[in-house]
Amino acid sequence: MDESNQLRVRLVTPERVLFDQAADAVELPAKNGYMEVLYGHAPLLAELGAGDVRLHGAKDGQAAAEQIYNVSWGFVEVLPDRVTILANDALKPDEIDVPRAQQQLDRGEKEWNEAGDSEEKYTEALHVISEAEAKLATAQEKP
Amino acid sequence: MASVLDLRRRIRSVKNTRQITKAMKMVSAARLRRAQERALAARPYARMITSVLESLTRRIDIYDEETGNLRHPLFAVRPEKRVLLVIISGDKGFAGAFNANILKTAFQFINGNGDKEIDVEAVGRKGRDLTRRRYPVAAYTEETDENGIARQVRNDRKGAVEVTGDHVGMLLKLETRRVFELAQSIISRYVHEEIDAAYIVYNEFKSVISQRLVVERLLPIMKIGVPQITGAVEPTEEQRERAAEAAASAGITLEAIDTAEADEEAKKFGTANVDYIYEQPAEELFNGLLPQYIFAMLYHAMTESVAAEHAARMTAMDSATNNASDMIDAYTLEMNRVRQAAITKEIIEIVSGAAAV
Repeated sequence: MDESNQLRVRLVTPERVLFDQAADAVELPAKNGYMEVLYGHAPLLAELGAGDVRLHGAKDGQAAAEQIYNVSWGFVEVLPDRVTILANDALKPDEIDVPRAQQQLDRGEKEWNEAGDSEEKYTEALHVISEAEAKLATAQEKP
Repeated sequence: MASVLDLRRRIRSVKNTRQITKAMKMVSAARLRRAQERALAARPYARMITSVLESLTRRIDIYDEETGNLRHPLFAVRPEKRVLLVIISGDKGFAGAFNANILKTAFQFINGNGDKEIDVEAVGRKGRDLTRRRYPVAAYTEETDENGIARQVRNDRKGAVEVTGDHVGMLLKLETRRVFELAQSIISRYVHEEIDAAYIVYNEFKSVISQRLVVERLLPIMKIGVPQITGAVEPTEEQRERAAEAAASAGITLEAIDTAEADEEAKKFGTANVDYIYEQPAEELFNGLLPQYIFAMLYHAMTESVAAEHAARMTAMDSATNNASDMIDAYTLEMNRVRQAAITKEIIEIVSGAAAV
């Protein structure tokens, strides 16, 4: 193990490996709320919700800037020196299609209102809404 | 006998065709390369999902200790009475026997399971066209239950085999979202016991010379990480040689790209020899992971099938180009012979005319 106290963070989507690099810390949108992982974290396996993954102190050759990715649903494996994020979908803030996310939000709200007594439909609508809201929130972030 | 002029025209026309087939071959080669890259890029995710599920099933019993219930309905195994068959064919023709072979395998499967009710889900235009011609499309009627919620209810079957859905154009632009929706619809049918098993027919593609047609079981999940292949058709030696020739002339590498190292790395996901803290209870983890696993299997089948389709088209177009060249050679020979015959005839006429004088 090296002395740098850096984590190796990987973000993998069904289509490709988005990045694989070292960072000081990483913030994750776990299903029950955000969490931050530093070097030496206990081994953990968690489900992800919709939200931002933030990389702090990423060494990408350039200045150690904060990196943000919007992810929706997936899993994360945390090991003391390695974090692997399996996301269903991951976008950079400038890749987010704001009008489309807005449409998605409207659709989700419509589904929510029409769900009636069906629990399944509520969960589905909630799914859509939280994903759209997370996307909109990320889009407003200055990268 | 055709005149020189006729033959010249025919040669010109064949030359034009040859140019088209050649261009199509090069386009397919380029698409094949892209499809191969995409299939490769999708590997880590699929491997990781598989390995994390594998390790999860090893650590956690799939039956709840207290209640003895299954932790996820997708593990349930029922006697196969109703079967879903996903057929992955191509969206376009001109790919040699690619679509015909896939459909032949699919129909063999259907005929071999004559005692079961089979639902067909066709991916790709070619598969849809043929299955629709052969089998009736499942019909639904809208019903409203006592709570005033409208829902789709399936009508009585018209036959043992029905087409429940088709996905045209899904393969032309492979979007994860659409594939995931398909996976989810299959899962929901399984959970609601509308089907007892799901199979998928597709063309597996490791490299140009190593591919085969497989029938794979998608559901129920008997053992994670082991492809449940129930039938496979290997290409003949001759077909393999033709494909290799076509690939070589289009500049495609024959060997499968070595991914052992990346695979090893991906396999470690979620399997480290430590006690994980599981944020969610096992049921929830399975609930989240299993759909992803099914999705990854479907996506994998589709990326491979797309690559195989382009490879088949490339081979077919290479053959067509070669045939056109052979044809041009034959016609050129004939044209020269006809021309020479005409010249000889004229000379004979002159000579015999001179002799007569």
